[in-house]
This record gives sequence, C-alpha cells and structure tokens, in this order.
Amino acid sequence: MLNIRLAQVVRDVSRRLRDKPWGNIARSTGLKTLHLINIACAAHLFVEHVGWVAGPSMLPTMSVTGESVLENRMVSPENLQRGDLVTITSPLNPTRIVCKRILGLPGDVICVDPTGTLAPSTEHVLVPKNHIWLSGDNAAFSRDSRTYGPVSMALVRGRLVARVWPPSKFTVFRNNFNFID
Amino acid sequence: MLRTLKYLRSSCGEFMKAHQTLRRTLQSLLWLPLGITFVEYFYTLKSIRGRSMQPTLNPDSSSWRDVVLFDRFAIRILRKYERGDIVALQSPTDSKLVVKRIVALQGDMVKTLPPYPDVEIRVPQGHAWVEGDEAFHSEDSNTFGPVPLALIESKLSFVVWPLARYGPIRKPSSPNPNDPRDPAWRIKKAAVEREQWRNSRITIAQ
Repeated sequence: MLNIRLAQVVRDVSRRLRDKPWGNIARSTGLKTLHLINIACAAHLFVEHVGWVAGPSMLPTMSVTGESVLENRMVSPENLQRGDLVTITSPLNPTRIVCKRILGLPGDVICVDPTGTLAPSTEHVLVPKNHIWLSGDNAAFSRDSRTYGPVSMALVRGRLVARVWPPSKFTVFRNNFNFID
Repeated sequence: MLRTLKYLRSSCGEFMKAHQTLRRTLQSLLWLPLGITFVEYFYTLKSIRGRSMQPTLNPDSSSWRDVVLFDRFAIRILRKYERGDIVALQSPTDSKLVVKRIVALQGDMVKTLPPYPDVEIRVPQGHAWVEGDEAFHSEDSNTFGPVPLALIESKLSFVVWPLARYGPIRKPSSPNPNDPRDPAWRIKKAAVEREQWRNSRITIAQ
C-alpha cells in the first residue's frame, strides 16, 4: 500500500519537473546574470573614471586616512601645470597608485634635493621631454622624484579636483603656485 | 502623480513600438559597459604600424599590416611580465602606444646598444628593458632607458592577419639541420640566432 503510494508520489514529482519549461528558465536566468554583470561593469567604470580616491599620505594637504577626493581622469598632459595635484601609477610598483604635486614641467631645471639628504644639494636635473618632476607635500615621508627621477607623463592617471569627504572639509583644489621674482 | 507616470510609461512604450530601430539601438547601447570592460581588461584587436618589430611582425614579405590580438588580462590583472614577451606599452617620450619585446626585468644586467650612454646597466626596481626586434628602426630602451612596468598595458598573444602567419606567437625553435636550406629554413635559423644574441646580452638576476 505504502509502496504504491510512494511510487505515485515519485511519478507525480518527476512529471511535474519534466513539464517545467527548463529551456526558458535557463535562458532567463542567464540573461539576468548577464544584466547583473553588465551593471557591475558600469559601476566599475564609473568608479574608475569619475569616482573617488581614498586619500594617501600627503600631509598637510591631506590626512593619512579617511578622506576621499574627486579625480578628473580626462586631463591631457599639455594642460598640467606646476602646483597641480596628480595621481600617478607608481614607477616602482605598477599596482600602486600614488598622489603627488607637480614641481617641474619639461624643460625645467630642478634642484634634486635642496636639503642635501637624498642627493648633494648642488645636483640639478633638466626635466626631459614629456616628463614631470613630482614631489610629496610631506618631504620627510615621501618617495618621489628625488628617489626615482623625472616621471613620464604617460603614468599620470588624473588630476585631483576636490576633496568631497568628510563634508566638513570640502575643498576645491585650486592651483596655488606662485612665482617669486 | 501615479496617473501621469502611467501615462508617460504607456506613451513611451507606444513611441518605442513605433520606432523599432531606435529601440534596437538603445537596447544594444545598454550593453556598452560590458563591452568596454571586456576591451579594457581582457582582449583587444589592433593593427601594427611601422617596422620596429621586423621580421617578427610586419615583415617585408607581407603586403598588409599585421592585425594582432592583445591580451590585457595577463598584464593588468595577473601582472605577468616575462622576458621575451612582445608587449604594447606607452612610450615614455611621447605617450604613444608602441610594440616592443621585453628583454630584461628588474635586477638584470643588460649590455646596451649604441645610442645609450652607458655600456652596461642594471634595470632598476619596477622597470623593464624593452627593445624592438629590428634595432635599426626602433626607438626603444636604448634611446629612452628602462621603462616603468606601469607603462606596459598588454601582451601580444595571437596573430590574426595575414592568414599565412595566423596563430599564437611561438618561441623560435631550431630548424632541422638535415632539411633543405630554403628561405623558410633560413628565416627560422635567423630567429633562433636573434634570440640567442638577445639572451647573450643579459645577465638574469638571481
């Protein structure tokens, strides 16, 4: 009696499973996952090209952690100016992105290290074509052009536009470079 | 409020029904992020210009420009840089995309070729020494020095066109000395000798 009932249940379930439109279900789930991946890609592209950068150590311009800045990725190398804050891919490690200030443009003659700690204070360098000289604002704790020399403009990712987080410290980074006559 | 929304939606739907081509274009545009991400992080097709990688790419015997498949995944995600790989990189002197071969990686000693001021150089940390296969027509590390790895953006993995050389890039192998010494044999032999000469100029770091 029980056996017959069990067999009936099994037959019933198997028929129901067989009658389901499996092809349609597979197609619609596939399409849904593709849409999800597409949305994830869109979000990634937004974050990469429009979005935020967590603040690296650029004391006193930026604190060590907990700050976000807006970055302009569409900056052309000719429009870079001395004093601009830029993000570059580190020439020492391709997985690291660092933030520095531009000190010299192509053709400038730059004193490598006026304090004389990393290089003799008399050593001067001519910045070559399509290269820039970078420096961190916190000279004592910064690895910049003093260690790796002039950096190719092809490594520049973008220019910092404004600090947007925390909201109380919102600032637009304007060029504050002054010539001394 | 709800009624205006409903009205807008229905009129929009009617408009789209009336303009099928517009609907199709919009629907395909919806997939743009997926396409862009694929090209940026996986594979892209490009045609090669110039003679700096002769005779591996764009040989004189070919009347077309080579069309090749570049693999960005291996470089941008896996970060696999290997000596002997043909890579596309941004030239440090003018930011244009050039195709060269990685000769040496960080720590290696390289004997340089004429335009470079020093006879021998150690490749610094995070840098690579790149050269074109045709030294005479190539602006490479011998003119601009070692390049940061971050400038390398993709690795050449496959020749698509012309069909005569269709296939993945292979390491040159020595031809059989007993075979007839026809042009194909000599081309193979020359490729092997070029590789030996290239390798003889570097001392690989331990």
